[in-house]
Amino acid sequence: MAAFDFAPLIVLLPFTSFFVAVAAAIWRPNILPKGGALPGIAATAGSLLVSLWVAVEVLGGGRTAETVYVWSTGVGDAPELVFSLLLDPLSALMLLIVSLVATLVHVFSLGYMNDEDETGLPRYYAGLGLFTASMLGFVVAGNLLMAFIFFELVGLCSYLLIGFWFREAGPPSAAKKAFLVTRFGDYFFLVGVAGVFATFGSAAFAGPESFPAVAEAALTGEASVRTFGFGTQTWFSVLGFLILGGVVGKSAQYPLHTWLPDAMEGPTPVSALIHAATMVAAGVYLIARIYGFYALLPTVLAAIALVGGFTALFAATMGLVKREIKQVLAYSTISQYGYMMLGLGAGGYVAATFHLMTHAFFKALLFLGAGSVIIAMHHNEDMWDMGGLRKRMPVTYVTFLAGSLALAGIVPFAGFWSKDEVLYEALVHGLGGSPILLAAYGMGLVAVLFTGFYTFRMVLLTFHGDPRTELARNPHGVGWNVKAPLVVLGVLATTAGFLNMVPVHELLGFPPEYLHDWLAHDGGRSAFAGLTSEHYGELLHDWAGYSTVELSAILPGLVSLGLALLGAGGAYALYAGDDPEEHTEKLGAAKTVLYNNYYQDEYQVWLTDSVVKPLSRTMDTFDQGVVDGTVNTVSSVSLFSGRRLRRIQTGVVSNYAVLLTLGLTALVLVVGVLGGWFA
Amino acid sequence: MIDLALQTVPGVADGLLPAAVLALTALLLFGIDTINPKEDSLALLCGISVGGSLLALALAGSLLAAGYEATPVYGDALMIDGTSLFFTLVFASVTALVSVASYDYLRDQDYCAEFYALVLFAATGMSLMAAANSLATAFVALELTSLPSYALVAFLKTDEGSVEAGLKYFLVGALASAVLVFGISLVYAATGAMTFSAIAEAMVGAGDVAGVLGLGVVMIAGGVAFKMAAVPFHFWAPEAYEGAPAPVSGFLSSASKAAGFALAFRIFVGAFPVEMAVPMGVDWVLVFQILAVGTMTLGNFAAATQENIKRMLAYSSVGHAGYALIGLAALSAGGPNGNVLGASMAHLFVYGFMNTGAFLFVAMAEHWGVGRTLEDYNGLAATAPVASVAMTVFMFSLAGLPPFGGFFSKYVLFYAAVESGFWWLAAVGAVNSALSLFYYSRVVKALWFEEATVPLEIGRRPVGLYVSVLAAALGTLILLPLFGPVVETAQTVAAALF
Amino acid sequence: MNQWIAVGALGVVAVGIPLGMMAASSMLRPTVPEQGKSAIYESGEVPTGTARVQFNIQYYMVALLFVIFDVETVLIFPWTVIYRPALEEGVPLVTLLAPMLVFIGILVVGLVWAWRNGAVEWVASPRALKEKTES
Repeated sequence: MAAFDFAPLIVLLPFTSFFVAVAAAIWRPNILPKGGALPGIAATAGSLLVSLWVAVEVLGGGRTAETVYVWSTGVGDAPELVFSLLLDPLSALMLLIVSLVATLVHVFSLGYMNDEDETGLPRYYAGLGLFTASMLGFVVAGNLLMAFIFFELVGLCSYLLIGFWFREAGPPSAAKKAFLVTRFGDYFFLVGVAGVFATFGSAAFAGPESFPAVAEAALTGEASVRTFGFGTQTWFSVLGFLILGGVVGKSAQYPLHTWLPDAMEGPTPVSALIHAATMVAAGVYLIARIYGFYALLPTVLAAIALVGGFTALFAATMGLVKREIKQVLAYSTISQYGYMMLGLGAGGYVAATFHLMTHAFFKALLFLGAGSVIIAMHHNEDMWDMGGLRKRMPVTYVTFLAGSLALAGIVPFAGFWSKDEVLYEALVHGLGGSPILLAAYGMGLVAVLFTGFYTFRMVLLTFHGDPRTELARNPHGVGWNVKAPLVVLGVLATTAGFLNMVPVHELLGFPPEYLHDWLAHDGGRSAFAGLTSEHYGELLHDWAGYSTVELSAILPGLVSLGLALLGAGGAYALYAGDDPEEHTEKLGAAKTVLYNNYYQDEYQVWLTDSVVKPLSRTMDTFDQGVVDGTVNTVSSVSLFSGRRLRRIQTGVVSNYAVLLTLGLTALVLVVGVLGGWFA
Repeated sequence: MIDLALQTVPGVADGLLPAAVLALTALLLFGIDTINPKEDSLALLCGISVGGSLLALALAGSLLAAGYEATPVYGDALMIDGTSLFFTLVFASVTALVSVASYDYLRDQDYCAEFYALVLFAATGMSLMAAANSLATAFVALELTSLPSYALVAFLKTDEGSVEAGLKYFLVGALASAVLVFGISLVYAATGAMTFSAIAEAMVGAGDVAGVLGLGVVMIAGGVAFKMAAVPFHFWAPEAYEGAPAPVSGFLSSASKAAGFALAFRIFVGAFPVEMAVPMGVDWVLVFQILAVGTMTLGNFAAATQENIKRMLAYSSVGHAGYALIGLAALSAGGPNGNVLGASMAHLFVYGFMNTGAFLFVAMAEHWGVGRTLEDYNGLAATAPVASVAMTVFMFSLAGLPPFGGFFSKYVLFYAAVESGFWWLAAVGAVNSALSLFYYSRVVKALWFEEATVPLEIGRRPVGLYVSVLAAALGTLILLPLFGPVVETAQTVAAALF
Repeated sequence: MNQWIAVGALGVVAVGIPLGMMAASSMLRPTVPEQGKSAIYESGEVPTGTARVQFNIQYYMVALLFVIFDVETVLIFPWTVIYRPALEEGVPLVTLLAPMLVFIGILVVGLVWAWRNGAVEWVASPRALKEKTES
C-alpha cells in the first residue's frame, strides 16, 4: 500500500508550490525564475506521478478510506469532523485527469503568460497552485464536509484567477459574478451538508457507516435516521436537492450557468483548467461520488436528467451565434456538462464519468488551442477577425481539429464514444419506462446537431478561408511550451474514447470496455462494494425503478453521429468559402434573443430588483423594527436598571449591612416557607 | 477528645506541603523584615514570595498529576484530595502572578515585606479553606484569609480610598463572619457534629429540627457567599476592589473568590448531601439558584453602566461569581453532579488567569498615571500595543468569546447545566454573557479605536507588571489546547467529592 | 399547636415587658426636668468633654498584643493538662512537644517582628505632647 501512503503528497505538493509562490511574491518578487512557473510545474508533475502510482495500485485492487486528521471531536454523540482520504477507481481516475491537465496548463502558461511579459506572475502561479491543491483535495475527499471545504476553496481560486487582470473593467466584475452565482448554489449545498450530518450523523462517502449506505439501510428499514417529520424518501430527496444546488452552481447548469461565459475574462489557461476541465467538473464529480445516495432517489434523478438535457440544448443554441472563440467554447462547456448531468440522471454512471474524462481532455485542448490562437492574434478573440490560420499555425490547427471532432462527436474521436454512451443510457432507461428521460434524451439529441454546427463554424471561421485582418495575416508565433501540451491533449482527445467503445464491443466482442470494468468492481474489498457501478445498477433498479430495454447500441450511435455530421455539414455549407458571410441576420428576432443569451442575465437582475430587494427591504424593516427593537429595548432596560442598581450602592456601609441582613432574611423566608420549616 | 489529639501524628502530611510552603514563605519574609525592618530589598522579597508560590504551585501540580488519594488528616479536620490540590493550584498561580506584578507597584511603598507576607498568609488560608473538612477549620481558614485581605485592601495607608475601602470591607466582613459563625452554631445544635462526614451522618436523625438546621445552612451559605461576592453579600466588592491597590483587587477577585467557592463546594457537597438535604426541606440548591440568577443579573447589569474600569471589573467579577454558582445551583440528586461542579471549578481556574490579568493591566495603567475611567483608556493601544493586546484577550475571554479560554469554560459550564436539566440556568447565563459583551467590548473599543484626548506619556515600562500581564495572557491562551485536560481533571476530582 | 407559637409568645413578652414598664412609669412619675438628671452618668464623676475623642493608636496595639497572648494561653493550658498523662501513656516526646513548639515559634516570629517594628515602643505622639504642655 505504499502508494497510498504517499497519496497526501498529491494535494500537498501543489499546496507547497502555492506557498513558495506567495512567499516569493511577498518578499522577493524576482527570485523565482519564470515567476514561479517552475515550482508549479514540478509540483503538478509530482502530483501526476503519484497519481499514476495510485492508479496502478487501484488497478491492482487497492482501495483505501482512511482518516488523516480529526479536527473536531464531537461532545457526546455529536459527529467527528475529519479530513479523510478516499482512493478508489473514481477518485484515482479523476486524480489522473486533474493532475495531468494541471501540469499541461502550467506548461502552457509559460507560453501564454511568461512569454507575453505579464506582470504579477507569482500571484498567477500561486492561484494555480492553490487551485490545483484544492481541486485534488476535493477529489480525494472522503466525506461531504471536507468535500464542501475544498469545493469552496476551488471557488475562491476561480474568483482570484478570473479577476487576475483586476485593473481592467471586465475581469473583476466577472469574478464577482462567478463568485456570487456559485455561492448562491453553495448555500443550498451547505444546508445539505448540515442536513446530512443531522440526519445520518456521518458524512463519510465509503464504508458501512457512510451516509449513502445508511440511507439505503434506512429505506429498507434496517437503520433509523432522523427525518424531521418527513417521510424517509421525501426527506432524502430534500437533502439530494439541497446538495444538487451546489452542483448546479458549480457545474454551470441552468439556471445558474450565467457566470461561466463571463468567467472567460480570466486568462485562457485558467479557463482551460478551471472553467473547462476540472473545477466545473467538481459538481458532476460530486454527484458521481455520492451516486449511491442519488440512486435511491428517482425524483432527484429525473430532475438531474431533465436539467442536464435542457442545459445541453439551451447552451448549445446560444453557442451558435457567438463571435468570440472563447464564448463559443464557454457555451459548449455548459452544454457538455449538461450531457454529463443527463448521463447521471439517466442512470449512466459509467457513461457520465466517461464523458467527464473525455471532455476534460478535449475541452482543455480546445481552450488551449484557442489560447494559442489568441496569442497569435495578439489577444483579439473575435473569430470574424481571424481566418486562414490553418497554414500559419499547423500544429494548433491539427490539434484543435482533433478536439473539435471530439466535441462534435465524430467517430472515432473521444467525444463520440462518451456522448454516444450518455445518450444511449438515457434512451434505454427512458424506453424502460421513464418518459422524462426520453424527453431529456430528445433534448440531448437535438443538442448534438447544434454542437456539430457551432463547432465547425468555429473551426471554419478561425482556421479556414482567407485571413480577414492584418493580424490574421501575420500572426504571432507560438513556442514549444504551447505546442507540447496541445499535442499531448490532441493525442488523448483522439484516443481516450477507445477505453470504452460500447458499440464496437457489442459488434465485435472486442476490445473490452476498460472503463466499465475499472469502475465496476470493488477489488475484493467488501467495504468498497457500495462504491461500484455494479452496486449503483442494483440500487437504480431497486429504488429508482430504472429498467432497461434490450437495444443495440449501434443504431442510436449512428443516429447521433448522423446528426453531428449534419450539423457539421450545415456549418460547412454556410461558412466554408474563402470569405464567409455572417448568416446570423437570417435568424431575425431569434438572433437578438440568442445574442442576449435568452435574457438570462436580465431576468436574473430583474428578479433581484423586483423580488429580492423589496423582500430584503421588508426583512430589513422587520429586522430594524422588531428584532433590533427587541434588542434595543432589552439593552435600554438593562442600562436603566443598571443605573438603578448603582443607586443601591450608596457607599454608606450601614446601608450595606441592612441590605445584607434583609437579603439574608428574605432568603431564609423563601427557603423556609418552601421547605416547610414553619409548619 | 484527648485520645484523638494524642493519636494524631503531628508533622505535615505531604498533601499539605503546598500550604506549608506558603506559610513558611510568609514567615521567612517576616524573618527577613525582622532583621532589617527599615530597608527592604524589594527584589529579594519579591523573589522569595514568587519562589515560594511557584514551589507551592509545582508541589500541588505534581501531587495532582500523581493522582493524590483523598486523605483526611489531623483527626478529620482537613481533607487533602484532588479538589483541594486543584484549588491550591489556582491560588498559587494567582499568588505568583500578583507577587510579580506587585514588584513595580511597591517600588515607592513602605512595608513591602508585610505586603508579601500578608498575600502569602491569605493564600495559605485559601488553600486551607479548600482543604477544610470541619466547620471549625473552615471558619478559622476563612478568617485566616479574610484578616490579611482587610489589611491588604487598606494597604495604601495615606490613600483615603484605600483606607475607606479596607474599613468597609472589614465591617461587612465582620457581619458576614458573624452570620457564618451563627450558622455553624445552629448546624452544630441540630446535628451535634463539626466534621462534614459526621454532619452528613447526623442529618438522618435531624428531621425534627429541620428548621434549625435549615436556618444554619442558609446562614452558612450567606457566610461563604460573602467570600464569593455573591448578591446580596457583594456590597463590599465594588468598593474594596476600587479602593485597593490593583494587584490586591486582582488577588481578591480571583483567588479569594475561588476560595469561597472551594469552601462552599466542600461544605455543601460534603456536609449536606443533596439527596438528603432537599427531601428534608433544607433546599440549599434553591438558595444557590436564587443567588446565581441574582448575582449574574445584577453583576452584569451594574457593570454595564460603570464608567470606572475598576468598578466595572468589580461588577463583572460579581457576575462571574454568578456563573460559577451554577456549579452548586445545578446539582440534583442522581444528576451528573461531578460534571457540573467540575465545570464550575474549571471556570474558576480560567477565570483566575483572565481576571487577574485584567486587574494587573489596570495596575499598569495606574502605574503610568492613566486615569481610572473608560475615557482615560482611549487610544492606549497606540502607546502600549503589547499590553493592550493582552487586555483585549482578557476582555474577550471574560466575555466568553471563542477562541479564548473563557469561552470553553463557559461553554462546558452551560453545557453541564443543560445536561443536568437546568437549561434555564444556562439560558440566564447565556443572556448575561451576551450582555457582558457590551461592556467588555467598550474597553476594547476605547483601547483600539478611540483617539486619545490627552497625549499619553509613558515613562518606564514596568518589567514585573509586563511579565505578569503577559503571563496571564499566555495562561488564558495556553488554556485553549490545555482546556481538555483541565476540565477533565476538574470533573474527575469533583466527581470524587460526591 | 405549633411549637413556633411559643417562640412568638416569648418574643411578644420580651418586647412587651420593657415597653409596659416604661409606659407605666412615665404615666405614674412626676416630670421634673433638671440638668443633673440629663447629664451623662459617669460613675459619679463630673463628665469632661464629649465621648467622641480619638484614642492613641498605641492602645490598640497593646490591646492586640494582649489578645494574641491571651489566646496563646488558652491554647497552651489544655496542652499542659494532658502533657504528663500523655507522656505516661507512652506518647513520644516529639509528638507531644513539637506542635506546641511550632505554634509558639510562629508566635515568637510574630512578636519579634512586631517588637523590631516598634509595636511595643511607646512613642509619644506630637499632638499629645503639645496638649500636655498646654494644659
